[in-house]
Amino acid sequence: METVITPDQLLAPEVTADPYSAYRQLRDRSPFNYVALPAGVIPGLEEPIRAWAFLKYDDVYGALRDHDTFSSVRHPLVEKAAKAALVLITDDPPRHTRFRRLVNKAFTVRRIEALTPWITTVADELLSVVGQSETDLVQYYAIPLPIRVIARLLGIPRDQYENFKRWSDAFIATPSTPSTDDTERTRDIQEMMAYFGKVAAARRAQGAEDLITALVEAEVEGEKLEEWEILGFCMLLLVAGNETTTNLIGNMLNVLAERPTLWRQLREDRSLVESVIEETLRYESPVQRLLRRTTRDVEVSGVRIPAGDIVQVYYGSANRDPKEFPNPDEFRLDRDLRNHVAFGTGIHYCLGAPLARAEARVTLNSFLDRFSAIRRGPTPAVRQTASQLVLGFWHLPLVLEGER
Amino acid sequence: MHLVVDYKKCRRAGQCSYLHPELFRVDEGGAPVVVVEHPDDESREAAEEAIELCPNGAIALREDK
Repeated sequence: METVITPDQLLAPEVTADPYSAYRQLRDRSPFNYVALPAGVIPGLEEPIRAWAFLKYDDVYGALRDHDTFSSVRHPLVEKAAKAALVLITDDPPRHTRFRRLVNKAFTVRRIEALTPWITTVADELLSVVGQSETDLVQYYAIPLPIRVIARLLGIPRDQYENFKRWSDAFIATPSTPSTDDTERTRDIQEMMAYFGKVAAARRAQGAEDLITALVEAEVEGEKLEEWEILGFCMLLLVAGNETTTNLIGNMLNVLAERPTLWRQLREDRSLVESVIEETLRYESPVQRLLRRTTRDVEVSGVRIPAGDIVQVYYGSANRDPKEFPNPDEFRLDRDLRNHVAFGTGIHYCLGAPLARAEARVTLNSFLDRFSAIRRGPTPAVRQTASQLVLGFWHLPLVLEGER
Repeated sequence: MHLVVDYKKCRRAGQCSYLHPELFRVDEGGAPVVVVEHPDDESREAAEEAIELCPNGAIALREDK
């Protein structure tokens, strides 16, 4: 029997690790209002932050498409909890439109295709040290691959890779209990901003072939970007380009480790690679939820939501809604997978989607080339619970069986 | 030349109608519909940008038959 879940338990670490039972039980009751951030979890937060949870596919899809009603500009309290100002993901048009144009061209399908041979060499390099014994593929592969890729795009040297991971972990961590020590997180985020500030200054003095140079040189309507905007861009690209792809890769390898028949099938027929990636995105969505804020009173699934309220849009629940995806808890390649909302939809559709897909494609093909089977070893996998926003693993120890 | 959406590839990301509403509108189901089927010299650049920026490679300019 399933444990009965109440809305406030959406914050619980066990739900972050495995949210589907909660989604199943609560979806039909949504939207509902619940405590999204209890009082005291960040210094100075005296009242809890309440939010509306959207768990149905139609509600999620509708909110993402109606960006006039569901604004991305953060509530002041949420902004305070975040500790750093971002751009794009926290902007509405027309500012969002101008900013998106600045970076859009770095992530086009064509540009990413041109990067694919290089991504493959990084994958090869990482896999060359992976032995046949049990290996934690999150630590040895799924974390370093996206970090190296985004660091190269930003123009950041190798010696910063470890800092990059620590900073972006700190950034997406969601404090959930008043006892959470926030000092270290604050320090990490400040360190990240200081580092990007230093790099931006260096690129102003002498440009290079990278995104940070493009940002310091960019002009929007004749004006250079302000310092905080440049830092906001850097942090967004680092954090979004990193954690989410780690989780996509980890979730995909986990799904495949549990399905040896599918692995053999894939080795015979590589045309299934795309469907495996898309079904992983739906079935184990790397980003589980993001925020919006209502700009007017609005009715959603018969519930009146007042202007100014916070909305949590649950991509992970939408992608398991049986009304949109029959038998949603089955991993199947024969579905129509064009409708999943793992990358969102509408104006904020994930900028890095082509890059994430390319990294997943390179990964799956490289693994299929090398290993006749992947399976679980004796050490259990560990789901991450530091951030309620994402679904992924801290540790995914798998045994890789090579060609004989 | 005429502007087309390949609906087999389209995943309704919505970028085309967002960045170039003069060329694309969105139907009730969220799918893009080409508004200007035959872009003239003036809208040609916008059409090419929409093609380049589609995250699913679903937009193309095809030769008229």
